[in-house]
Amino acid sequence: MSAALDRRALELLPAGPRLVSHDAAVFALREKRDAAGRSEPDFERLRDYAREAKAHALDHLDGNLERFEARATAAGAVVHWAEDAPALNRIVHELLDARGARSVVKSKSMLTEECGLNPYLESRGIEVVDTDLGERIVQLGHEPPSHIIMPAIHRTREDIGALFARELDVPAGETDPARLTEAARRHLRGHFLGADAAITGVNFAVAESGTIVVVTNEGNADLGMSLPPLHIACLGIEKVIPRVADLAVFLRLLARSATGQPISVYTSLVTGPRPGAELHVVLVDNGRTRLLADEQHRRALGCIRCGACLNTCPVYRRAGGYAYGYAIPGPIGAVLAPALGGTDERRGLPLASTLCGSCSAVCPVKIDLHEQLIAWRATDVPRGRRERVLARIAAAVFERPALYRIAGRAARWVWPAVSRRWPGNPASPWLAARALPAHPGASFRERWRACVRGADR
Amino acid sequence: MSAREQILARVRAASGHASPAPAAFVPSARRSDFTAFAQLLVAAGGEAHGPFSAGELAARVADLCRAWSGGVRVLATDAAFARLGDGPWQPVSTEADPHTLADVSVAILCGAFGVAENGAIGLDGREAKPRALPVLCERLILLLDTSTIFPDMHAALAGLPDGALAQHHFTFVAGPSKTADIEGVLVLGAHGPRELAVFGVGL
Repeated sequence: MSAALDRRALELLPAGPRLVSHDAAVFALREKRDAAGRSEPDFERLRDYAREAKAHALDHLDGNLERFEARATAAGAVVHWAEDAPALNRIVHELLDARGARSVVKSKSMLTEECGLNPYLESRGIEVVDTDLGERIVQLGHEPPSHIIMPAIHRTREDIGALFARELDVPAGETDPARLTEAARRHLRGHFLGADAAITGVNFAVAESGTIVVVTNEGNADLGMSLPPLHIACLGIEKVIPRVADLAVFLRLLARSATGQPISVYTSLVTGPRPGAELHVVLVDNGRTRLLADEQHRRALGCIRCGACLNTCPVYRRAGGYAYGYAIPGPIGAVLAPALGGTDERRGLPLASTLCGSCSAVCPVKIDLHEQLIAWRATDVPRGRRERVLARIAAAVFERPALYRIAGRAARWVWPAVSRRWPGNPASPWLAARALPAHPGASFRERWRACVRGADR
Repeated sequence: MSAREQILARVRAASGHASPAPAAFVPSARRSDFTAFAQLLVAAGGEAHGPFSAGELAARVADLCRAWSGGVRVLATDAAFARLGDGPWQPVSTEADPHTLADVSVAILCGAFGVAENGAIGLDGREAKPRALPVLCERLILLLDTSTIFPDMHAALAGLPDGALAQHHFTFVAGPSKTADIEGVLVLGAHGPRELAVFGVGL
């Protein structure tokens, strides 16, 4: 386990009611996903198809991108290409600046989180208002999102009530989710109506028609796309699929896997600009071609950002999204971070997993997430010195049966002391949020021998 | 080399062109009647009314408009107006500045089709004009021919009206605007309509 992840997890979600409510809220989504899957007879076949369709789309991505560009351009959109995060940020800023746009409404886009678009624009005097309710909550609290579809899931209603009492027109002590949502609705309406431009992400792009597909439950992307005269859509190159027919499969899987809904409330197929307005689509690489060239890991590009692997992950559920220190947390974040994340600490994220495989079991496009985590571990994932020493000691012990037996006996002897928190116990931080089970008192061999003796008698 | 050339060159080098396209997906058979559709619409937080005959439709829609809004600003698109005739609604100007629609209490539009598997209605951008109307309104009424309900998304996307993807937007709407961003508690009316009613037409 990555030490940095552990430290941040403890800061954000110390053991207690907050940890319990975070765990319960995200696991509720996992259960809704299961129920939706069980009640849809096509569900498992859709997952198989989606996996094949993504493999095919990625294997023909060059042609898909060129076709998408040609069709979108023919429909009146302007297509831009950005090699990395700085290029995306620069292109978006230039588009806004050239039109004198000072106020931007933005709907959820993990890509722009990955690229740090908001701080870039804000430092250049542009007001960026996140309009997804969860994103607005974390933006007002000066935090990044902690979940890819529920950005403020780590916050309680009391936290949000206090935040809104400070930032919006809400009486102190308000904790009712409906009234808090109503206050945000009134507040954000004003921003929608006054915006000079809208920025959205893109869930899917269809090559054969040059269409971008934007999915929300709140309708915030649709309000953005229908009011200001400029719409900038930020699109990761891996999201382009060849045909409208495949879109049906992905749309049937996306909401069911994310929240258990059969479809999200708003699914907009946008081809070209609104009459009298401009549509700019920025295609972003930012490390994706590196993953594409990596046979072992290219399948991770099939991710449709549903969040199912986060909701089921025992590490994510207890650690929370911030612990990962990367825009995309959870198992998929740990798989993407070594290629897309840049920093050493992020390259170490594949260590932050129990490898239980629950993520792979729920992925709608059947990405073999836990296998990918193992594959990353076999590469030069950065490890701390203590971890390297411990791994070397463990390897030496496992290779020598006699040493293994002695070590086992010694471990049972020190177990009572190590499994409790006390000052000076090096395991104390680890134990802050975890309980170790009592030791059975004898090794498996000893118990087996006793068992055989008993049977003989 | 431009960014475009560079990205495309890298993608080309990594694209194997070996994986075959999967054979067309064959969905399970399912019902595509108004009752099946209505069940999913209601599950998504919407209301289903009817089906009604073309003759009684306008009176029923007017009843709901009155119950909802007490007769303040109700707008109907040309197609909806043509269907309903005179009533407590005015035709909307498709050229209207969308910002002038911020105080619309009820908007009435014609849906292009329904989808039985999820209770969604397809809104054709040529009908749903101005684009802001169905999302800015406080409450939304959609008229739906009961003969135009597809069983699932495969049929719906295969059956998109001609030219649906050659113009600004085609939008699927499934229920009123909603959020669960505060502790996962479901709240209707996040940004868009607080309520959605679908009137089935055709007996």
